Amino acid sequence: MKNLTELSEGQKAKIVAINGDKRYLTRVTSIGLSIGCIVEMLQNVKPSPILVYGRDTMIALNRNESTQIMVEVI
Amino acid sequence: MAERKIALLGQPNSGKSTIFNNLTGSRQHVGNWPGKTVEKKEGTFSYNGTTYTVADLPGSYSLSANSDEEVVTRNYIASGEAELVCILADASQLERSLFMLADYAGIQTPAMLVLTMTDVAMQKGRAVDTKVLEKKLGIPVVGMVAPERNEYDKFYKVLESAINQPRYLMTDELFMLYEEEALYQEALDLVPSVGIGQYSAQWLAAKLMDGDKVVAEMLDNKDVIAGFMEKAKNGSLITSDCKFAWIGNLIEGAVSKTKATSEILTKFDRAAISKTKGKWIAIGIVLAALCGSMVVAAPFMGIGFAIIPPLMSMVRTFVSSVGGPDWLASLINTSVCTPLGWVIAMVGFVFGVNLVFGYIEQVGYMARVSYVFDNTMNKLGLQGKSVMPLLMGFGCTMGGAAGARVLDNWGQKLLTMALVWAVPCGAIFSVVPTLATAFFGSGGVLVMIFLFALMFLHMFVTAKIFGRTLSPKENRVGLIMELPPYHKPRWKDLIRTTFGNVWGTFKKAFRVVVVISAIFWLLSYSFVAGEATILQRIGEVIEPVTKIFGLSWQSFMAFIASMISKEGVLGVFSAIYTGDGSIIEMATKVASADANITEIMAASISKAEGLALIVAVTFNVPCVVAIASTYQESHSMKWTVRIALYYVVTALILSGITYHIANLFM
Repeated sequence: MKNLTELSEGQKAKIVAINGDKRYLTRVTSIGLSIGCIVEMLQNVKPSPILVYGRDTMIALNRNESTQIMVEVI
Repeated sequence: MAERKIALLGQPNSGKSTIFNNLTGSRQHVGNWPGKTVEKKEGTFSYNGTTYTVADLPGSYSLSANSDEEVVTRNYIASGEAELVCILADASQLERSLFMLADYAGIQTPAMLVLTMTDVAMQKGRAVDTKVLEKKLGIPVVGMVAPERNEYDKFYKVLESAINQPRYLMTDELFMLYEEEALYQEALDLVPSVGIGQYSAQWLAAKLMDGDKVVAEMLDNKDVIAGFMEKAKNGSLITSDCKFAWIGNLIEGAVSKTKATSEILTKFDRAAISKTKGKWIAIGIVLAALCGSMVVAAPFMGIGFAIIPPLMSMVRTFVSSVGGPDWLASLINTSVCTPLGWVIAMVGFVFGVNLVFGYIEQVGYMARVSYVFDNTMNKLGLQGKSVMPLLMGFGCTMGGAAGARVLDNWGQKLLTMALVWAVPCGAIFSVVPTLATAFFGSGGVLVMIFLFALMFLHMFVTAKIFGRTLSPKENRVGLIMELPPYHKPRWKDLIRTTFGNVWGTFKKAFRVVVVISAIFWLLSYSFVAGEATILQRIGEVIEPVTKIFGLSWQSFMAFIASMISKEGVLGVFSAIYTGDGSIIEMATKVASADANITEIMAASISKAEGLALIVAVTFNVPCVVAIASTYQESHSMKWTVRIALYYVVTALILSGITYHIANLFM
């Protein structure tokens, strides 16, 4: 298990856990990143926000918070 | 004529504003929700003898209570004011954007579903069968291309049937999924079984699992609720799982995939989102946008400035022909003719900016700007895309204010405008270097560098001060944003929405400019030739005070005149020191300054005062037209006045500090 920011570009992974306060959880799930969702890392360059592709959508995510999203590479 | 009320609900980029603008055209009313820094947009339209009032609810990704926007949206739906809620979803990203519908499930207001961007979905090889969806959902479903005018017949027909035979979203299958969760059963026991108002028990229970504080406050038995909330820490992971499972079932059989997904990132996008290159591309595009808006504005500006002189001489001839006094002609000229020309020019420029920024937004590029500038702008409490209006401010402050429209959050929009005011505009660049060279010769370059340093300091402090209310810390959250796919521009729709409300924009701005100009006229008109104006007398009386800020009465008058226009500053000095020409005509740029004015100034004003004056003028409120355009965009007189007062005060403080420090060395 890795956190989302540890994925390298082009890698695909499945979200297995999301940590954080309730507000973060509702925000991140409402844009489509819920448990079981498959994402592809599009861009991961520090210190910019990360960019992933999931549920037909390109999504930009704050880097710090994204360490709370745990994934399994597939 | 019957009157009905409906609401539009949808996620960002769902095409909600496009539909709202196409439905209502210029029959819109924009204000604020009572007590909230959230924009309230309502409009009306008629179809088949029925008048509909539409509320454009603020865009958010769900119906949780994480932001003021979401709370406002929910309260509005809960109030039952709207008879029907039109829920929007992007057909090209159906799975993700149906989340709003799933979050709505359990609210007992009739609904219909509008699928937008069906054309993009088709290009991606996704065909959506609305009939299948209708059957599964129990509510009317219509698919449409929102910017296409001829698509609205479909919409109107479905709307008419939806409002005359109200239908409710079928939620059984979603609730069955919920019921498999023990936590949900527990939550259901905590809420009234009949629900509260429009909210059903099931909706309340699901929200309680999400840890929704607003819902928790609606319930009795606080201790038990608090205990449950503690236990349900990850509740929203469960509910979202159920929602997406439900959506998955919905889509099955309703959406057919005919093509595999093509490459996600295009070559351009690779560059547009890259760390350094992306920023340069954004800056380049703002420059292009500035030129582009100038092109759109040019005819308006030409007409605006061209009509002033003939109008003025017409007024003069007319007034003297009926035996009216000179002051009357001057009053009409200052407070009606000049403002008329200026506001026509301003409207042109505002439209130019709106058209160009609208284009950038519509094709999907604006979100990329937001992404590449996120880290930078976050420090000021703003989203990345506010960098666009700020850069625009170097050209023209009103362009920056108009460009602030790209911010979807009212508080952040206002904060952006407040910061745009600190950015030296083109007019300042046309005056200040002349002044700086007059006082300091080649050292003028250092003055310009000093001004830029002050600008950053000003913006930083201003962002801190206004940010507390306009972008509160607790609302600042890490970026979670969709970068929409690039779309082809829809020129017809863009032009329609940009020019849709010419008259409204004009009226609003004109009123402000007329009032301020009339006040300025009263203060600076010499009723008896050779006698001091009210402004001069006040200036002389309070000179001991303005001296604290480093300004003599002459400089103070120039400072006041720079609120009308920046270009007029040299002329005002010319009128004061040479006794030639009136201050009003100089301030409004009707007459031109004495050719030797810079030498005269350098001879009569000390270097320290000169520097203080430059600072005071640069950081004063922008010109009267920019104030009007800020009011026009913010819809808030209270905030416009508040920001204006703040700028006058800070400009004086800055000039005071500059003067006293400079005095030690000069």
